Amino acid sequence: MEEQTPSENTPQASKAPESSPPENRAALQSKLLAGALLALVLVVGLYYVNRYWIAPAVRAQTKSDGDHPLAPAFSLTDITGKPLKLSDYQGKVVLLDFWATWCGPCRVEIPGFIELQKRYADQGFTMIGISMDDSPEPVVGFYKELQMNYPVAVGNDRLGELYGGMPGLPTTFVIGRDGRIYAKHVGAMEPGVFETEVKELLAASPTDELKDFHQAGRIFQDDKVVLGDPATIDSEVPGINLTKLTADQKEAYKKILLSQQCPCGCKLSLLKCRQVDRRCSVSLKLAQDQMDAFLKNRSSGVATK
Amino acid sequence: MRMLLWGGVLTLMVTSLGWAQNGNSVVEARAVVATDAVHANSPVKLAVLAQVAAGFHINDHKPTLDYLIPTELKVDPSDHFTVKSVVYPKGTLKRFAFSDAPLSVYEGTVVVGMLLQAAPTVPAGTYTLKAKFAYQACNDHACLPPTSVPVPVTIKVVPRNVPLKPVESDVFQRIKFE
Repeated sequence: MEEQTPSENTPQASKAPESSPPENRAALQSKLLAGALLALVLVVGLYYVNRYWIAPAVRAQTKSDGDHPLAPAFSLTDITGKPLKLSDYQGKVVLLDFWATWCGPCRVEIPGFIELQKRYADQGFTMIGISMDDSPEPVVGFYKELQMNYPVAVGNDRLGELYGGMPGLPTTFVIGRDGRIYAKHVGAMEPGVFETEVKELLAASPTDELKDFHQAGRIFQDDKVVLGDPATIDSEVPGINLTKLTADQKEAYKKILLSQQCPCGCKLSLLKCRQVDRRCSVSLKLAQDQMDAFLKNRSSGVATK
Repeated sequence: MRMLLWGGVLTLMVTSLGWAQNGNSVVEARAVVATDAVHANSPVKLAVLAQVAAGFHINDHKPTLDYLIPTELKVDPSDHFTVKSVVYPKGTLKRFAFSDAPLSVYEGTVVVGMLLQAAPTVPAGTYTLKAKFAYQACNDHACLPPTSVPVPVTIKVVPRNVPLKPVESDVFQRIKFE
């Protein structure tokens, strides 16, 4: 017995094109052509809707508050042993690249940065690399291997937090001659995107804010520049703002954190975990919960001085 | 009209594609023991099932490039259970925009097996081992810092005369314990 294919049982199968008369075939071709044209019109239409309607709206949202904040100062030692201070580059356009050697998308951007440094260094531009590796060893090896021609230092979590935290690497900040951050790019970008922005900023005034700067490339929600709060970052309990507490209240709050073990697996108290592992989201949440409870008790007059 | 709506949705997705996840939530993991309880002085089969969020990958335990951080299952030392072997799955070779060569990665559900040995002297009772699933995740255009997710492992030890029942045997069929 012969096997039957499922399509042989369907009504559509009996209307196969090869059995159709020529006029039906022509009608089918016309329909297909019309469908293809409609699809093309839709694609082109969506492109323009995105370009002139959606992308500007996202762009406006990413720039809605704070416009172009001043880049947080930092002072590090680069991997060749020289001091690396952002303030030393005042008056220059700076591309500040947070990256790591274990990050493929970061590595792929580096040759483009080396090229930018070659082309624009004598026009008032510099690249700065901040590696988020745990140690300098792999960074030094990579720096030599690629013959990187710009300063690179190993950063730290505090610096990342000052720049608003790193939602992912690479994260690159585009800083103008006036020391303001004009753009933030999370994820690997085409070198042309940075070049467009650098050229625009090189042509701008070194003192006045460039109000109508145009961020190039694709723009994501993570690209919004929101800097960290130094009072929270440099707190005795990193990540928790203690400025609303008196000295006695601070001690009482720290005592509470010291008395509780962090359940993240570190085997430390909540206080110690916060202090030695700023990235621990478990201790951060619990310390914040304790702060909320502490403030609530304080407002109701319980257990506070 | 419906097509236009879908087109709009698609365009919005493309425009706002950033980090769908933040912080450490890219991987969720749980542990399962091959039987509902174990006996003293016996091997204990354990599986850790890690779910990698859509759009992300983590590196193979044996990454294709030396700079990549491998995925690892680590267990805190215990007086009652010793680790005999860890069985990692083979990664999938995949091309990414940031690499000329295909990379061996894990996506979706990752099942790591672990063979433990219960000590001869372990008394009947319930024990919790602290395990960690360590990984470093990326998507096609950016990476997250290396991190780990805690995986508590609960093991019930029963007297030798108590029969054991298999648990989630389909999971353990996927692991080639040596």
